[in-house]
Amino acid sequence: MILQHIADGILSGAIIALGAIGLSFSMKILRFANFSHSELLTWGAYFALIFASFTAAFGPGLGNPVGPFSFGWKFLAALVFTAIATSALALVLHELVFDRLRRTANHMTMVFASFGVALLLRHLVLLLFGGDPIYYSNALQFAVLLPGGVRVMPDQVFLLGVTIVVVVSLHLFLTRSRTGISMRAVSENPDLARVSGVNVASIVRWVWIIGASGAAVAGLMYGMTVQLRPELGFSLILPLFAAAILGGAGSLYGAVIGGLVVGLSENLSVMIIPTTYKPAVPFLLILAILYFRPQGLFGERQ
Amino acid sequence: MRRLGKYVALGGLVAFLASMGNVMAQECPIKLGAILPVSGPMGQVGERISNTGAFAVEVFNEAGGVKNCPVEYTLRDTQGQSAVGVDAAKSLVDLEGVKALIGAVSSGVSLPVLTSVAVPSKVVQVSCCSSSESFTALAQEGKTKGYWFRTYATNRSQAAMGALLTTEKGFKNTAVIYVNTDFGVGLAKRYVEDIKKLGGNITSMIAYNESQQSYRAEVTKALEGNPDSVFLVAFPVDGATITREWLSLGGTDNLIVNNSLRSDDYFKAVGHQYLQNLVGYDSAQPRLPSVTTFNELFQAKFDGPPNGPGLHSVFDAVTVVLLAMEAADELTGDAIRDQIRNVTADGGIEVYPGAEGIKRAKALLAEGKQIRYVGATGALQFDANGDVQAPKMTWKLNGTENKETGYYTTEQVADLIKRLDK
Repeated sequence: MILQHIADGILSGAIIALGAIGLSFSMKILRFANFSHSELLTWGAYFALIFASFTAAFGPGLGNPVGPFSFGWKFLAALVFTAIATSALALVLHELVFDRLRRTANHMTMVFASFGVALLLRHLVLLLFGGDPIYYSNALQFAVLLPGGVRVMPDQVFLLGVTIVVVVSLHLFLTRSRTGISMRAVSENPDLARVSGVNVASIVRWVWIIGASGAAVAGLMYGMTVQLRPELGFSLILPLFAAAILGGAGSLYGAVIGGLVVGLSENLSVMIIPTTYKPAVPFLLILAILYFRPQGLFGERQ
Repeated sequence: MRRLGKYVALGGLVAFLASMGNVMAQECPIKLGAILPVSGPMGQVGERISNTGAFAVEVFNEAGGVKNCPVEYTLRDTQGQSAVGVDAAKSLVDLEGVKALIGAVSSGVSLPVLTSVAVPSKVVQVSCCSSSESFTALAQEGKTKGYWFRTYATNRSQAAMGALLTTEKGFKNTAVIYVNTDFGVGLAKRYVEDIKKLGGNITSMIAYNESQQSYRAEVTKALEGNPDSVFLVAFPVDGATITREWLSLGGTDNLIVNNSLRSDDYFKAVGHQYLQNLVGYDSAQPRLPSVTTFNELFQAKFDGPPNGPGLHSVFDAVTVVLLAMEAADELTGDAIRDQIRNVTADGGIEVYPGAEGIKRAKALLAEGKQIRYVGATGALQFDANGDVQAPKMTWKLNGTENKETGYYTTEQVADLIKRLDK
């Protein structure tokens, strides 16, 4: 059974990792803990739902099932659509709220503003879509039995592949492209980057776009493997922060490792402690990291 | 001088009105307090229950009210939260001067209301819907002082019915997944005791916290030991999430579920086609004319059948309290408490719901005769702890249709419990 818990941990950790990347970057580059980031996951999932219903002519839900999966080719289009739509939403929030506050307000004001934005975004979903759980496809997908008695759903394996592709492309973007290198420069030292001719305002927008796209993909994946609910993102906020803090702010691999550690520890914990205490595990992780290594596994001391 | 005279006259008038008020407060109207969750997560259920309670008062008033006084139904919202419920009950008792309390729905709300408001203020509390066994234990310790009654059967019979269903189907190894609340924990523990007595085994007991997104870890844990069946104590939304993950991960579709999952929301969210081996139990109304009478009254009033939890039981809760008030010499908590047992005692002349029935009951009481109320839930028989027994039914899904598969009378349920408690 330990193999099953490990498999579940990796699969749920992948989703947390994707969500945590954006959170980690915004902590480092935007320099505040963005509590509304988790709501971008919710919106990402619901944008895909909107896309699915507008394109119903091309097959139900996320497309007619292909092979062992519960979705079809439409899924890829939905992925692109939700990444763009969620990025647009994030940029609107940046222009309307965070950018204006950043000039005058201090760190705590930003954090509280993000709380307010989170509430607003969550209840907007509730208002538009209602509180009942929604599924992209109402058909149940049955797990396949792998050697070692491990049961996984084909969708999850596919989505793990998507996560790897996203992380590798992000890595290439950060190390090879000019924008990526500028982004790392801003995260190291914004003032020095500015005098070196880096357009900081444009970099900040890129951070929002990358964070929101990661969140959108994570939200879509969560919606596919679990369900869509207005509290989708809210219930993930603790694991997301645990992963970002564990990995160290601003570190791509830190966020990925952090996500996997959180996913694995949540799933493995039920072997030792009663299942009712499972939600406390990310909390304990955050406490432990802040106590022993406050800068995170891959973070640098400031 | 003239001004002084005015003051004196005014003072006299005030004093007169105040004394009038004192007399009036003892008389009309008589207030009946209701503490129910008409908003919050139980809002939809609570509102229907409350409307039915108000309807019971309306019927009683049609028959002339209590002691020729109209009864006023005074509702306060609990929002499903214990702190709000206690405040509401306090204000009803201390400020509104209600003579009895109806409610609440959740055991977690009824319990603090009982211990911190009803018992200390010596006010009778009758719940339509709380089924936790904590109340029975409290009554046995003498802490309810007899002010607690409920017209809804306890968890005890639910656990017994679940265990009976499981073993009758021939399942040997059962996993238990239950909601981590007073209700769920109590029911699951009883179920495990019962199933062992009936010769079944439990592979695992997994508690889950409400309103989580995913229950994969819980489900994976419950799959250990290869259960051939699962007993699920849940509410529709989380229940659907758990069932979907359970089936997806290769769990058996031999599901035994508690009565809260007898809901179209649940069937639809999971998909009817996956639930064809599901069985469940629920409270049933006895097959008596008094129940039909209530159903017809309800249909005429609300333009629909009384389907839903707590409707029959809240109607009886209100009616029994008002009959007890009518029978009592004075409207004190103690008198009402004693009369509740009197108007439901064995051997009285049977009276039925509806304005005519209430008129007849009042006439009989006026003649000094003993009555026995047989109402929407049948003949109420409060035991020493204020608990009642109710008939049960079993059901399954047939396609998309929810079909009754068995009926167990109050006596059969009582026998089953006696057999299990040996």
